[in-house]
Amino acid sequence: MKLEMRNIFKSFGSNEVLKDVSISINEGEICALIGENGAGKSTLMNILGGVLKMDSGLIYLDDKEVEFNKPADSLDAGIAFIHQELNLINDLPIYENMFLGREIKTKRGRLDLEKMIKETEKIFEKINVDLNPKTMVRDLDTSYKQIVEICKAIMMNASIIIMDEPTTSLTEPEIERVFNMMRTLKEHGVGIIFISHKLNEVMEICERYMVLRDGKLVAEGEVSQVNTDDLARFMVGYDVRTEQFSRDKSLGDEILRVENLTHPDAFRDISFSVKKGEILGVTGLLGDGRSELFRSIFGAEKFSSGRIYLDGKKINTYSTTQALKEGLGYLPGNRKENGIIKDMNIFENASVVTWPKYAKYGVIDKQKHKEMFGEQIKSLRIKLEKVTDSINSLSGGNQQKVVLAKWLSSNPKVLILDNPTQGVDVGAKEDIYDIILELAEENIAIIILSSEAQEIIRLCDRAIVMYHGKIQGEVSGENMNEHDIMRYATGGELRISQEEGMEHA
Amino acid sequence: MLKTENKNKKSFIEWFKHRWTTEPLFSTAIALLIMIVIQTVVLGFDYDSFGSWFSSWIRNWINILRNNAGVGIISLGMTFVIISGGIDLAVGSTLVAVGAIIMMLIDTGPKGILAGIGLTGAPAFAVAILIAIAIGCLFGTGIGLLITKGKIPPFIATLGAMKIFRSLTQHFMQGYNPTVPKGFLQISSFKIGNLMLMPIIYWAIAAFILNYVSKRTVFGRQVIAVGSNERAAKLSGINVVKVKTKVYSLMGVLVAIAAIIQVSRIGSMDFANAGSGSEMDAIAAAVVGGTSMSGGKGTIIGTVFGMLIIAVMNNLLNLFGVPPFLREAFKGMLVVFAVLLQRKEES
Repeated sequence: MKLEMRNIFKSFGSNEVLKDVSISINEGEICALIGENGAGKSTLMNILGGVLKMDSGLIYLDDKEVEFNKPADSLDAGIAFIHQELNLINDLPIYENMFLGREIKTKRGRLDLEKMIKETEKIFEKINVDLNPKTMVRDLDTSYKQIVEICKAIMMNASIIIMDEPTTSLTEPEIERVFNMMRTLKEHGVGIIFISHKLNEVMEICERYMVLRDGKLVAEGEVSQVNTDDLARFMVGYDVRTEQFSRDKSLGDEILRVENLTHPDAFRDISFSVKKGEILGVTGLLGDGRSELFRSIFGAEKFSSGRIYLDGKKINTYSTTQALKEGLGYLPGNRKENGIIKDMNIFENASVVTWPKYAKYGVIDKQKHKEMFGEQIKSLRIKLEKVTDSINSLSGGNQQKVVLAKWLSSNPKVLILDNPTQGVDVGAKEDIYDIILELAEENIAIIILSSEAQEIIRLCDRAIVMYHGKIQGEVSGENMNEHDIMRYATGGELRISQEEGMEHA
Repeated sequence: MLKTENKNKKSFIEWFKHRWTTEPLFSTAIALLIMIVIQTVVLGFDYDSFGSWFSSWIRNWINILRNNAGVGIISLGMTFVIISGGIDLAVGSTLVAVGAIIMMLIDTGPKGILAGIGLTGAPAFAVAILIAIAIGCLFGTGIGLLITKGKIPPFIATLGAMKIFRSLTQHFMQGYNPTVPKGFLQISSFKIGNLMLMPIIYWAIAAFILNYVSKRTVFGRQVIAVGSNERAAKLSGINVVKVKTKVYSLMGVLVAIAAIIQVSRIGSMDFANAGSGSEMDAIAAAVVGGTSMSGGKGTIIGTVFGMLIIAVMNNLLNLFGVPPFLREAFKGMLVVFAVLLQRKEES
């Protein structure tokens, strides 16, 4: 079945997300859809999956116009969307998952397990899947779960399958397994849209590519005609200009050094160091392990081996309390879940970290905290009515400033900021950048975790790029541009770094 | 004139509505006030012999407070436990276990432990009280560690402890009833003027201290932080394991105090039944007082009010002559109704 989407427009409010996008997928073709976060990939695919409605445009299946108003329409037409978060129920066996919501029943209304198992076996046989339908989904690894989802799609006669970053949480052999599955599907004439950030994988499995940038289709063609460099350039575009904040970089002594830090599954063999007054960026794509890495350094998660030195002294951050005492600060990502204590007011949220520090006989020194927060309201430009109002009454940016304030009160030597501008409006974003630069002036070492290359380039003195739990490369100065960051983040190497390596040798 | 009056009236209603919906403590206090008014009316207000009416009113109240002091103290600890996101079903059994230990310590019979080493009278009582509190603390800490380090859900850990403590106490105490010396009874029955106020005073002191702890101390605020958002609390450098364990230690100490009051008030203990159901009464008091079962919300004063509401209702049912078997049904309805009100506030 041939799919065509023509002249698709979509906007959310005044924000134009898709501007005249036209794509097509042929029968038995694996086609990559790539682009940066926010380029419009998800919106386009959600339109195809019937989740969103387009403003204007046409969709054709085998040259017949179709209309998708709800997900079921798209599914009935033979288009299956396999989401990143798999929709399987762990506590049911495979065959029951395959027939979830469409169970086969006997005349008396009992579930016809035998028939469901048999049907599942038929599908497995058709596309060479070596699984026992009675296995519990819980016992499958992520790649097999993905394969079960694909089988489910095939059972529903899907002829176009959309796969949204299927390899993000997979290991190498698991990726190979999913790829083999995709090749089998291709032989059966199924068209696949493969959404990915990993350009190496695109080169390996796809025939064609389509690149979205800022809601426009900026490039498409045969994969065999390009290399990963070209694809990275298409994704970022030539016209991106990011002036770095100019600042007086007088770096102090080394303050934090991490050696060979390894985690059972999130990251391995991580070594790096930061100097006083330095702003170090850590970036990568989803599943790179950077959040887990810094949660481990901060004592919120356990690592299996490696050492952490602060000020030349080896420290054991077996708990967050210990890490705080040693002088580490950590502003977590996902503010709602990890940063805010919803039942407490603004003032308490801003002082929770330093309660034990400023207390006499276990009684909190409210006056001292009031003075500190009073100053912070001015210096961080926090907009609020009363400090005793609920934290939920503040905007995202102001909430983030409050979370930042609680860490600044603890006078950290090293401040780790995970996605500090997540869900923050533009004005507050600039405020937070200013604050970060001021803190660096005060000789605090700052580590910024961000997936926005722009943010890293503007703020950081240098940046570590992670890929699949490893440090793939480091960029600074000239090398710190979106293109090179993207190369590393997608698992590539830089020629320059190889030359440097030779020089060192 | 009329207009402004209307306006005032309207704004009063709005003010009332606002406070009612935003402050759980306010609605609890109003509910308590209503209960007290009903109770006063039922007691038969009498202008002519105000003096005797008043003294009977006071006597009734002292009875209410004294009878509920033990569970009242337990409910204060339960408030901390529930705020932290947990629950403690073991308090009744811990009460019996600690009670049995106190009685064995001060027993004037042949098996009396302290008497056996020649310690009697006030020094023996002091030692017994300290040991009881230490053991209560130990039991509580043990339960706390099971929950935090052992990662057993609080419901299960305390359900287990409930069975274990009660069963062991009954087994070891079967066929023996320690004799509590007269002097020990003074702890609860010492009279001020003509009134037995001591249990009420202990309850009031405990409530006063714990209210301060909950509002002003690092521990008290950290309990709320942990209960409200455990992840965020942990990522703010709070030692969640320590805070949660301490909550159960505190619970243990308070249960020990309740056990001391119980032993010194009655002078004996029915090991099979004493304290059973007190976990539910304590939870009910906290919940009626506005403590949220999902953690993060609750006040000590609210729990005291909650306890009083339940106590006054019991008193009323008594005065109305409601059959004893029906009373629990009213208690059940009250709890459900209180939570229904809380739900409305949240939406």
